[in-house]
Amino acid sequence: MNELELQTIAEITIRTLWVCGCALLLALAIGIPIGIVLGSKRFLGRSIAVSTVNAGMGAPPVVVGLGCYILFARSGLFGGVGLIYSLTGMIIAQTLIAVPLVIGITLAAVGSLDDEWNLQVRTLGIGRVWRLWLLVREIRMGLLAAVIAALGGILSEVGASQMVGGNLDGKTRVLTTAIMMKTSQGQWEQAAGLAIVLMGLTLLVAGVLTVIQQSGRTR
Amino acid sequence: MTPAANQSLIPASRARAHIFYRRLSLAIALFALCSHAISMPAAAADRTLILATTTSVRDSGLLEALLPTFEEQSGIEVRVIAVGTGAALRMGREGDVDVLLTHAPSAEAKLVDEGIVIRRTPFMKNYFVIAGPSDDPAGISKADSPISAIRLIAENESRWVSRDDDSGTHKREKSLFATAGVDGHPQWQGFERTGSGMGLSLQVAGELRAYILSDIGTFLAFHERIDLKALSHPAESLKNIYSILQLDPTRFARPIASSAADELEGYLLEPSTQKRIGQFGQQRFGRPLFTRLHSKKRDP
Repeated sequence: MNELELQTIAEITIRTLWVCGCALLLALAIGIPIGIVLGSKRFLGRSIAVSTVNAGMGAPPVVVGLGCYILFARSGLFGGVGLIYSLTGMIIAQTLIAVPLVIGITLAAVGSLDDEWNLQVRTLGIGRVWRLWLLVREIRMGLLAAVIAALGGILSEVGASQMVGGNLDGKTRVLTTAIMMKTSQGQWEQAAGLAIVLMGLTLLVAGVLTVIQQSGRTR
Repeated sequence: MTPAANQSLIPASRARAHIFYRRLSLAIALFALCSHAISMPAAAADRTLILATTTSVRDSGLLEALLPTFEEQSGIEVRVIAVGTGAALRMGREGDVDVLLTHAPSAEAKLVDEGIVIRRTPFMKNYFVIAGPSDDPAGISKADSPISAIRLIAENESRWVSRDDDSGTHKREKSLFATAGVDGHPQWQGFERTGSGMGLSLQVAGELRAYILSDIGTFLAFHERIDLKALSHPAESLKNIYSILQLDPTRFARPIASSAADELEGYLLEPSTQKRIGQFGQQRFGRPLFTRLHSKKRDP
């Protein structure tokens, strides 16, 4: 593999991390508060909201991508904004894929806290902000699972990235779309090389998060 | 993410949570399995022919119009694999398929020279089109040839969408740019490389209001939806010849269905099939997509 190819692979890898990283942070910022509210409050329509989230957790990325494409395309509702074939558009699509996963796992973690814990916290007589802080601390393992699931989901998806990003060289090409492209071009060695980078990245992320999680358990 | 990674997140003291996470990880594992499962093709039957062709041929619908009759007459089941020209030729090179149907004369000639393809038979043709937005910012509709149209686009540094995928169409694009004296790897802002098939690239060109080189079939299938117009006129430099390529069966460990491939070639050259090729597309697009090639001249 020559220097130019390595440079291209590095560029694609950095872009992949940027898109997935932004989407993950956005999804956590949106998903965790919603998950906590859905998990701890009782209100009318809650079960509908929860089933919507559960359905969203299984939404195929390619369907989310199609939806975004229809909205972002020139003829679409947001056609004038110029989101199609842009990194911003890709980040939005991936955020939409990750948000239901974050909400679902957060709300499961909140729901798994037993009544005794709630009672204990209430007897402390502390303010709402502190109670929330204790809650987040208590469910941190669940939140880590949310991070793992969300990142795994968006790092490996190809449908939305292809449709919304368009796999444009030097602009919106990410690892998964590049693997698809190289495969369809019969350049299987290069596809395999990119696949190894993607696998390595996935293992690295999983490894780092597992180490954090293990150290959290022993405390 | 493995299910095991999720499972080890369980706080030991929380039995209820434990069960929940176990179910959750099982669900995630099942979901991952379902979404990643790849259906394996069934083992090849006795009289099957694996045909590798390009996406533009498949997307035109021509094979669906021609193959059922052939299958009925010959009793041969044809499995069509539609990939980019690069992948199709590579599959032929590796002996993964029985016969090829492509439109990249120079790349095909290489396989002939290497002895991998023992016979290359052109059987139909049409013309590539240079399409673009109807306001035609580079003014190429007034150009006297496709080459000067490319020159105008390069001079204006107009938006251009390149497939950049080593396909037959991309090979033609490169040779057009080379003939026009434009740098072989143009780098102006607005020169986009999709690395994708014709349909996807046309969509990108439509969204970006860019110029693009396309085969006529895929263009006609897409042009209304993407609001691009054909701005070129048929010319020698845009001629697009489709050939059927027979592989040398002695080169591969896997048996090549050569006799079935010969039968398919004979069928494509039959006058009645040639007539149907010449009429194909009339109904759907109001004009035929291909011109038949009567010549039975075989090279080499």
